[in-house]
Amino acid sequence: MAPQRRADLIFAVVLTALALWVLVESWRMPRLAELGVHPMSAPGLTPGLIALVLAGLGLALLWRSLRAPPAAAQDVDALAAANTDWWRALLALVLSLVYALGLLGHLPFLWATGLFVFAFIACFSFQRGRALRSLGGAALMALAVAFGVGLLFEQLFLVRLP
Amino acid sequence: MDGLISFSHAIGALTTPMSLFNVTWATLLGIAVGMMPGLTATLGVALLTTLTFRLDAGDAILILICTYVGAIYGGSRSAILLNIPGTPANAASTLDGFPLARQGRAGEAMGIATVGSFFGSIVGMLLLVMIAPQLAEFGLKFQSFEFVWLAIFGVVISGRITAMNDPIKGWIAGFLGLLLAQVGQEGIHAYPRFAYGSTDLAGGLGLLPALVGAFGFAEILSVMKHKTYETVRDSGRRILPALHDITRRWWTILRSGVAGTVMGIIPGVGEDMGAWVSYAAARRASQDPDSFGKGNTEGLLAAETGNNAAVPGAIIPVLTLAVPGSAPAAVLLAAMFIHGVRPGPLIMIEFPNFVFEVAAMLFWASVAILVLGLALTRPMLYVLRVPREYLMPLVFVLCVVGSFAITSRVFDIWVMLGFGVLGFALREMDYPMAPLVLGIVLGDLLDKNFRRAMVLTDGSMEPLFTRPISAVLALLTLAVVLWGLAPVRQLAKATFGARP
Repeated sequence: MAPQRRADLIFAVVLTALALWVLVESWRMPRLAELGVHPMSAPGLTPGLIALVLAGLGLALLWRSLRAPPAAAQDVDALAAANTDWWRALLALVLSLVYALGLLGHLPFLWATGLFVFAFIACFSFQRGRALRSLGGAALMALAVAFGVGLLFEQLFLVRLP
Repeated sequence: MDGLISFSHAIGALTTPMSLFNVTWATLLGIAVGMMPGLTATLGVALLTTLTFRLDAGDAILILICTYVGAIYGGSRSAILLNIPGTPANAASTLDGFPLARQGRAGEAMGIATVGSFFGSIVGMLLLVMIAPQLAEFGLKFQSFEFVWLAIFGVVISGRITAMNDPIKGWIAGFLGLLLAQVGQEGIHAYPRFAYGSTDLAGGLGLLPALVGAFGFAEILSVMKHKTYETVRDSGRRILPALHDITRRWWTILRSGVAGTVMGIIPGVGEDMGAWVSYAAARRASQDPDSFGKGNTEGLLAAETGNNAAVPGAIIPVLTLAVPGSAPAAVLLAAMFIHGVRPGPLIMIEFPNFVFEVAAMLFWASVAILVLGLALTRPMLYVLRVPREYLMPLVFVLCVVGSFAITSRVFDIWVMLGFGVLGFALREMDYPMAPLVLGIVLGDLLDKNFRRAMVLTDGSMEPLFTRPISAVLALLTLAVVLWGLAPVRQLAKATFGARP
């Protein structure tokens, strides 16, 4: 099965399941009748109807994915595929999550930001033959971002930092 | 006449040194943001909203509008030199911009893009001054029933137009946005929906963190996914286009300006469609359509005029109906609420001069992109040389700080991360982001007005289909849905014949 078709199929199943769950939860929401609330203003009305539409769209996508013909070998853009590296995206995601969820709040902002920027640049721009230059550049940028963002936001814009 | 007087006063009021300073740096920042792949106009405006929320309302909105206009224009730089649109609005510009750069005419291409963007903004600004007051007056006739259909129509047409090849995905994105907007305390009885005891969830999913995530973090992941991109570094000799080159294309400029503005008015459609529609019209009207895509200056001019004209176009429904015409306009809408301005049909009553003040801001932003764009063509090329690996972590830090800034909730950082991952995944599966954003913005409007309408009619849906404006909106919605169904399109093609 072509990757796009498989992705559509999986997403359609997830979407339909989510919509049905929202529908059930909306039905279970209180009607607030004991407060004299009109039944047509019940909190679950709108999300329930939206969930119905989403369930319908999910089923339409599912049906289409199951009926779609297999993709031809030439359907994949070879040039785009050659320039794509999913590991880079994954690494960027992991580094970002570690910074936002792990470092911030546990380290002072300057330290957390400096470490993140240094690690990010070092991971993506490290060159064996020019290790010192790569790491030096990463360290300089890390210092500039950490201090620059901190000063700009806290002193100039008077914005609290996480 | 009163409008003209208000407009001219508003232009004069912005000639103070502080205002001109704000215009200059905000436009320059917008151009820089737009130039760099990975930074979108939405992200730039969203981050600046969080930074400027302590400023005076007039200054803050001026800065945001200048950044918005600058970013939509700035994306033409990377479109021409990198063959990568700096913002989605500049995708059409790559078709003729990059071939021109390869021919050693990059400077000329950037000059044409600059002049086109200037005139596009000016045409859109003039249409805003003419249309906005009339639309606001028309909007006074809207009641709950009409707002229900406006929200549904907005999501449906946005989903259809931004996903021409696969409207189902556009509609899924739109209704997903509507659903996500239901999380939190609802606006009639304050019941916390889908909160499950969490005070953070009861506060709802913030629009700005969601936008920063979907357009910032998701973009970072997309950019880092690519290994390299080709760059043209030499801007060539000529930058300023010859005057006769511009004057003989006045009709292209006017047509693209009007088309771009109209596309901007349609909810959630935005600047990229403004560019594509203008480009397609220019190609159809050209005596040499085959030269389009190979370095045709008229194509580039049409695209850049159209996308910048869509900026004032997108602001028109923001001011008059509180419905955004594009994603950056959605952020602008949020910013207006934050600063105490209430856009909507009552704007000409509550803030009668505000429309003209916004038009004046657009005027000065247009002048700034013309001056800065032509004067700083070569120096700004250095911005494109900043390696992605150095830029993206800075962008992510700004995304985190920006998400946290408004309400100082760590939860907003989690919302940003969640929407970033969701946005990246949806993008990889070819789901458009604009309907998702529009859905989040319109969700509350739909919810409150639908339930109010149902209470008024005691559960009867009849007025939703029988009131005149509601009926028109309902028919338009149905037409758009039918237009999106392949069997219907095939039947129409078989009945009316294919276009030559």
